[in-house]
Amino acid sequence: MSELYQALAQGLLIGSTYGLLALGMGLVYGVSGVVNFSHGDFISLGMFMCLALYSAFSLDPYVSVLITVPAMTAIGAVVYIFLIRPMVGHQFLMVVQLTLGLSLVLQNGILMIFGGQPARTPSVVESKLFILGDVVLQVPHVIAFVVSFLLAGGLYVMLRSTDFGRSIRAVHQNAHAAALMGINVGRVQVLTFALGIGILALAAALLLPGTPIQPAQGLRYTVITLLVVVLGGMTNFVGIMLGGLIIGIAEAFGTIYLEGVLGLLMPYIIFVAIMLFRPQGLTWKSRQ
Amino acid sequence: MREDFYRTLSSPVWWGALVLAALLPLVLSSYYLHILTLSLVYVALASSWNIVGGMAGQISLAHSLFIGIGAMLSSALLLKFGVNMWLGMLISAALSGLLGATIAWIDFRFQLGHLSFVLITLAFAEMGAIIVEGWDFLGGASGLLLPRDTGNFRLFQFGGGAGSFWVMLTLAAACVLVNVAILNAPLGYYLRTIRDNEKAAQAIGVDVLKYKITAMVISAVLASVVGTAYVRYLTFADPYLLVSPVITIEIVLFATVGGLGRAYGPALGALLLVPLGEILRGKLGSTLPGLHYFIYGVVVITVTLATPRGLLSLFERLWRGWRRPAA
Repeated sequence: MSELYQALAQGLLIGSTYGLLALGMGLVYGVSGVVNFSHGDFISLGMFMCLALYSAFSLDPYVSVLITVPAMTAIGAVVYIFLIRPMVGHQFLMVVQLTLGLSLVLQNGILMIFGGQPARTPSVVESKLFILGDVVLQVPHVIAFVVSFLLAGGLYVMLRSTDFGRSIRAVHQNAHAAALMGINVGRVQVLTFALGIGILALAAALLLPGTPIQPAQGLRYTVITLLVVVLGGMTNFVGIMLGGLIIGIAEAFGTIYLEGVLGLLMPYIIFVAIMLFRPQGLTWKSRQ
Repeated sequence: MREDFYRTLSSPVWWGALVLAALLPLVLSSYYLHILTLSLVYVALASSWNIVGGMAGQISLAHSLFIGIGAMLSSALLLKFGVNMWLGMLISAALSGLLGATIAWIDFRFQLGHLSFVLITLAFAEMGAIIVEGWDFLGGASGLLLPRDTGNFRLFQFGGGAGSFWVMLTLAAACVLVNVAILNAPLGYYLRTIRDNEKAAQAIGVDVLKYKITAMVISAVLASVVGTAYVRYLTFADPYLLVSPVITIEIVLFATVGGLGRAYGPALGALLLVPLGEILRGKLGSTLPGLHYFIYGVVVITVTLATPRGLLSLFERLWRGWRRPAA
């Protein structure tokens, strides 16, 4: 029984961060219809920025966030303005192709700077444990869980009750009407993309302690994020967080209960099954 | 319409180019011959992908599965059961075709949109990579080492060097020819109708399922056969190269940089980018690993922004612009 609780807890904790990764992508998709295939490489970028700050100034990843979040937000804005905006409105494939190219650039730029060896970034809380009855949790995972949900809550409030949030929702519902109401659609799209990438910088720091990182990991993060976003119904806020938890739990159960290969396959199998039988995602509202 | 195909078949330019290419091993050093052989592998792969991704507009990221089956399964059958690699190639191709038909059927049955199709095929590709890396029969994470290539044609050995080059040249030419043939056959028109508007295609009586399956099966079988030939050339069946979704992404990039849905576009993309990448890797690979992929990325971004329809149409425009003032 304790094994079950352990799997559940671990899955929930890591799943919350997956949900956070996916929120950024869902926001961007909702506002500009762009699916960013270099998402995972931006996570890599955030992680390696933390590593660089640690090697240069021995900053803890949780402190580096103060630098990486603004830096990544700025990078996100620049990337959107110069690379992605010219492609919006073209065929869907063009954006896929462009972001795949961007993914190659990011991944191999990191490889050229940091080399291909797996690296670790130490943190003060890295080896601390948090014991709750039978369940043993790692403190970084608990921090990730708490921060992810706080941030998701903050985003939710922001979307509901600030002007910027309302303009994001307005553009999502009907960009043309939003423009007629005096919303600067272009500006909202840039800011949303920048915000999405900025969130990734934070998520990167949360995932970093205790995880060895290497430049080639980006694609796997992209795939996980895509799985979560699609499960969540692309733009549904609650659905995406739920999707994150499901993928996290599927992964934890897979690695604990099933042998090797089958365990690793678990999230993908669940994803394919849900895609085929509930293509609109997990949320129950029909897409009318 | 088929006249275009027969014109290509009987065109002296085509055959002349092929004969000239076939003579290249006589003048090239083994290093450049290797680069050219690799380029031809990717010409063949990108052209086979083009049938589904370019003509039918379905961005399949599952092609690493077909390449992987062609490479790993035929190698495993040879090493574990002593199955002749020619037979292994046929078995793998049949299995790839079956898998391709299944994927196309799933796409049709569940009415996947563009994005869902990309994602589901990517999920299949990741699953395939995980299965191969975890299953010792197919080589597991350490891969399979094929016996030395002694040039015995009956054992699917071509002697490396010039022999392998000719095999790849044949395969690449065949894949490009299949592209020309399909584009000029009714199938090509049906596929493009499906790409441009699937509902309208269905409404005017195009059997969408049949043509999607046909395109996917042709593409999968070609990719699988090229996979078998590629692994024989490499001698080492490396799952991280042959079954990784990255190989599909490379193919997609070559095809789109060259010109998607055109007969010679993917070939052009591969012929330009593979040598560029390999030469960069040869010159700078030890000091700056990853540089060639970095440059691929930059080229892809630049081409996408500057000429979204690919280099082939850019060259055509330049060619016409250069001829008009003269005429």
